[in-house]
Amino acid sequence: MTAVPTPSRTYDLSFARWVRENVEGGDKLNMCMQCGMCSGSCPNGQEMDNGPRKLFMMVRAGLKDEVLSSSTLWECTSCYRCYVRCPRGIPVTTIVQHLAALAAKEGYAPKNKVENYFFSKAFWWSAESFGKTDERLVTMKYFFSFGFGEGIRKALDNLKIALGMIKAGRMHIGLPHTIKNKSQLKAMIAKAKELEQKG
Amino acid sequence: MSDDIKIGIYLCEGCGIAEAVNMDELEQAVANQYQVAKCQRHAAFCSDEGRAVIEKDVKDGEVNRVLVAACSHRVMTDRFNFDGAATVRANLREQVAWTQPPQDEDTQAFAKDNVLMGIAQARTCDLPEPHENVVKSEKILVVGGGISGLTAALEAARAGHEVTLVEKTDQLGGWTRKWSKLIPSRPPYRGLIDNPIEDIIKAVEENDKITVMLNTLVSKTSGEPGEFSVTLSQGGNETEDVFGSIVVATGWRMPDDMTPYEKYGLGKIGNVISGVDFEEVLKNGLEHEGKKLNTIAIIIPCESEAMPYTSGVADRIAIKQAIQVMDADPSAMVYVLHDNLRAHGQAEELYREAQEKGVVFMKAMVKSASEGPELVIDDLLLGREATLTGLDAVVVQTGMMPNSTNPDLPMAEKGNEFLCDDVNPRVPITINGQPAGDGDEVKAEAAGDGEEASAVTPDCDPENPPLPGGPILNLQYRQGPHIPILYNGFIDSHYICFPYETRRTGIYVCGAVRKPMTTAEAKEDAAGAVLKAKQAINLVKESRATHPRVGDLSYPHFGLDICTKCRRCTVECPFGAIDENEEGYPKLNPSRCRRCGTCMGACPVRTISFKNYSPNMVAEMIEAVEQPDPFDEKPRIMVFACENDAYPALDMAGINRREINKYMRFIPVRCLGSVTLMWVSHALEKGYDGVMLMGCKSGDDYQCHFVKGSAIAKERIGKVEETLRNLMLEPERVSFEEVSIADSKRVVELLDQFGEQIKGIGLNPFKGF
Amino acid sequence: MKFTYYPGCSSEATGRHLDESTRAVFPELGIEVEDIEDWNCCGASVGHIGGGPLPQLALNARNLANAKKRGNEHVFTSCAACYLNTHRNNLAIRDNEKKRQAAAEILKAGGEEPYEGDLKVHHAMEVLVNFVGMDKVKERVTNPLKGLKVAGWVGCQTVRPFAETDDGGHYDTYEDPHFLDDITEACGAEAVDYKPKTNCCGGSVAVMKPEKTLHLMKLLLEEAEKAGADVISTPCPLCQTNLEMYQEAINKKYGTNFNIPVVFPQQLMAVAFGMDPVKDAALHRNTIRAEKLEKMAKK
Repeated sequence: MTAVPTPSRTYDLSFARWVRENVEGGDKLNMCMQCGMCSGSCPNGQEMDNGPRKLFMMVRAGLKDEVLSSSTLWECTSCYRCYVRCPRGIPVTTIVQHLAALAAKEGYAPKNKVENYFFSKAFWWSAESFGKTDERLVTMKYFFSFGFGEGIRKALDNLKIALGMIKAGRMHIGLPHTIKNKSQLKAMIAKAKELEQKG
Repeated sequence: MSDDIKIGIYLCEGCGIAEAVNMDELEQAVANQYQVAKCQRHAAFCSDEGRAVIEKDVKDGEVNRVLVAACSHRVMTDRFNFDGAATVRANLREQVAWTQPPQDEDTQAFAKDNVLMGIAQARTCDLPEPHENVVKSEKILVVGGGISGLTAALEAARAGHEVTLVEKTDQLGGWTRKWSKLIPSRPPYRGLIDNPIEDIIKAVEENDKITVMLNTLVSKTSGEPGEFSVTLSQGGNETEDVFGSIVVATGWRMPDDMTPYEKYGLGKIGNVISGVDFEEVLKNGLEHEGKKLNTIAIIIPCESEAMPYTSGVADRIAIKQAIQVMDADPSAMVYVLHDNLRAHGQAEELYREAQEKGVVFMKAMVKSASEGPELVIDDLLLGREATLTGLDAVVVQTGMMPNSTNPDLPMAEKGNEFLCDDVNPRVPITINGQPAGDGDEVKAEAAGDGEEASAVTPDCDPENPPLPGGPILNLQYRQGPHIPILYNGFIDSHYICFPYETRRTGIYVCGAVRKPMTTAEAKEDAAGAVLKAKQAINLVKESRATHPRVGDLSYPHFGLDICTKCRRCTVECPFGAIDENEEGYPKLNPSRCRRCGTCMGACPVRTISFKNYSPNMVAEMIEAVEQPDPFDEKPRIMVFACENDAYPALDMAGINRREINKYMRFIPVRCLGSVTLMWVSHALEKGYDGVMLMGCKSGDDYQCHFVKGSAIAKERIGKVEETLRNLMLEPERVSFEEVSIADSKRVVELLDQFGEQIKGIGLNPFKGF
Repeated sequence: MKFTYYPGCSSEATGRHLDESTRAVFPELGIEVEDIEDWNCCGASVGHIGGGPLPQLALNARNLANAKKRGNEHVFTSCAACYLNTHRNNLAIRDNEKKRQAAAEILKAGGEEPYEGDLKVHHAMEVLVNFVGMDKVKERVTNPLKGLKVAGWVGCQTVRPFAETDDGGHYDTYEDPHFLDDITEACGAEAVDYKPKTNCCGGSVAVMKPEKTLHLMKLLLEEAEKAGADVISTPCPLCQTNLEMYQEAINKKYGTNFNIPVVFPQQLMAVAFGMDPVKDAALHRNTIRAEKLEKMAKK
């Protein structure tokens, strides 16, 4: 994968063209006609600084930093409403998700202390370590990503819910569930990461 | 003559009529009317058997006027057409059986009145006789040698006509010679096509039927379709020729005023070029002044900033040029700056192609341009101001100005007021019955009988017409030398229904002088105009009317014995069909006439009439309706409904079984322009409680099939108030409504509303006198 | 007919009642359920950020390769996110040369044979629509849920973006899917008109920042109440958990008084089939108990 270019002037298309080549679904980005169906369909749009429509225009305008630090990337609930409604067949959700992945990789996310980033990291930690998601551990790890005090506060907030879940047998106490062949998964993920670095 | 009239009434019982109406009672009521020779009934007169009944009566000489009381006169016209007998219709189906409660007292009265009106019409209407006519030439004159004119010439030659193609410059091809590539006109509507202009010019030059005259202008045109006498001036050398019809394809020019484009740097800043000049750059493989262009902004100015109108041509050309740049250099960066991007119809495919190739479309307003070139823009999609830097060139799409006049010629000495013969009615504003503002003129010209105020004159300033230059054809018409324009300088062409028509019969228009268009559209347009030109010659050969009363043989007769030479007919005719002779009397050019009857409606002494449509005929029909006893409190309202849209809408209401107000009576009219105010006052004098005029939409987006008949009627009716006050009647008893053919629901509502309004005013005090 | 089954992580925790009722109901309808051997997490809707696109492909390639070993043509899962990821990566491996090669390399690193994307991946709901059919569901009902009003809430990823079947075509529409109401009615209950049937609850954002998405869930509850629903039925385990878990927070924030049970269509079927309310329908695992439904269950 070539390095992400930084445009030298506004509306320089080098960033847009890089996204087109390297971000999943980006090859369709050209076709955006700025109708706003995506932003209008978004259930969480009010939490975003830019809706997907504007985000895509910002890609074209070469506003790399603004795009990759946009809260839009982290507020997507993955409901796929924009994806199925886009009249130009642009996989909007996919592009937003992969721009988020790019932002994470390029170091934009931690700088912004974004919840989704912490949650994703916690989630991935569980998936990678155990091969399975342990919702309990993911949640706890996520809570404590905000610091010890905040972690305790968040955990206490959710204590009642957790107790209810334990009572209903939907949260277990004890060691996490794991897959049997952890080493195999580990080798595969290592390979995937290696491939991803190569591009 | 009247002793010879033998009317046969044919009461049809089909399609639910007999279920709704007591036919015995109806027959009794109408069979013994004056001059009714026969009254017959049948289950379906449109059947072969039913038709034979009527045919036999006509053949045996028992009847010479046929009244078919059945369906609307708009249907079964071929079925009910009998040699040697004028045929009229009474509408018992759409208007009565399908819209009124069955077997009701008022339904019965409705049916009876419709038949009585039919009898009156049959009595006063004769078979039309064709006017004398000699077609002197079937040659077609094409004016303009650009893509439209060239295509028109080829199409006309293909259709078997001799063609003379005149071009004012010294070469054929016009603007199209400049274009590098063209927008595709066939599926899949992607991929630009090569410019075929050289092949087209060659085809024209090699065609035996086409005579090309370069450096030539039309210096004079007189006559009418079938015999246009045209003087052609080739470098001062005048020749005369006769043509059957004329196709005007004079195209467009750059805007006379280019200063609005200076804002984008055009003509001020280096490397800012017009879209037209950019074609040359594209031909040269993106090379401009020795430099290869890579980063280009293409501006589509918004309408409010440059031209008063926008058509989507500039938009499509911008898309086309952007694609060309990307095709020539995939690494190029092309920004199309637009306010609204208009990629009509199939051009959407072109837009997609441009997007796929990486053209960036930006909804942005250009705020200023500076050396570089650099553009300060308001990016409306990002909601922020930005500067576009690093541009190699800026391309500005300019507007198209129609050559409805020839800017190289001096202004015509007279007749300029008809250049823009306005279709917008000017209803005088009245205060307490006294005209406000230009009332002096109205009073000064008021006719003796006080019914009409003045001729409806065009309101274009003759000293300062909206377009510069002289006339294209220099018509020797009463209504001046020009082909009338509508707005923004484009030739008036009944945009909605009959695009190639002009307001001068036998003269058709195509290409960018009609509306802004691309090369492909102009070619299609030219073929359409040629078809109309051919059709006009063929119809005129048979003395028949052209659009929209295609095939009509009737034409107006002028009773010059009582003509006051008021000139209303010659001024108001929407088609300039009537000239004036040396003594100032109207002189009809029948082949130019469209038979709308606007002259008839204009004539203050009512001496203009058709064989089968006259002031007297309608007056008799008005009188034929029986006015109920005032104590019954049943109003009668007369509706003059235009045959083109209003009457079909009423028929449609019948087809949809919508109940029509039972107090209404309808008389179809050719056009509201043919309605004389005498009919309105006559109806009120005869005891009708209200009168409604129902016609097509007027104004810039008019739908009047005779262009300004509706506008004229509206203006005339605006002056009826005084007449009503003289009769001691409320002005609210007269109503004017514009409807479209799709208004079947609305017409019913309008009638009900007017019915309520009349109820509120109360019955006409003249009733019973 | 044998289907390979991918239970997904939630089947062992918050979505246990979905897993239990699925395993109970499907065999009753002629669908034999065989688990993927040693299945792992799919990466859900955040794996591509935490791990990256290819590591997420790795998770799914491993599952698919293991599923392939079962020897069945068809794979199904009842979790929306599992379905989305498994289906999307299966298609990517099948149609995208680059992805197929990457998957092969990844599998090789784990000592597995290459996988070509030839399995067919379905959502449990699609299996009901296309392989079982509503007639068969109706036939099996012995305890019709008469009088129970059910709001069918499809949610997002069950139909978006892939309501498509593996053979092309779609098993329902994105905007107005019917299958859930059809199941409700096949069970003898009444499907109320539920306008936000494809609305989002906030998904994983609801888990990480509930305060930001409570309004989405409030609307879902409000509309269910307006429609007079006794229970909300949803096929998605995260939707079920979110909407059940946050009702108290919603009541606290908006001063409302919601207490609407949220169940799975599999649970409805289990009761309608006259099966055991605990062992088969797992109704005891709902933290807001569906009392009306429990009363209907055959003891």
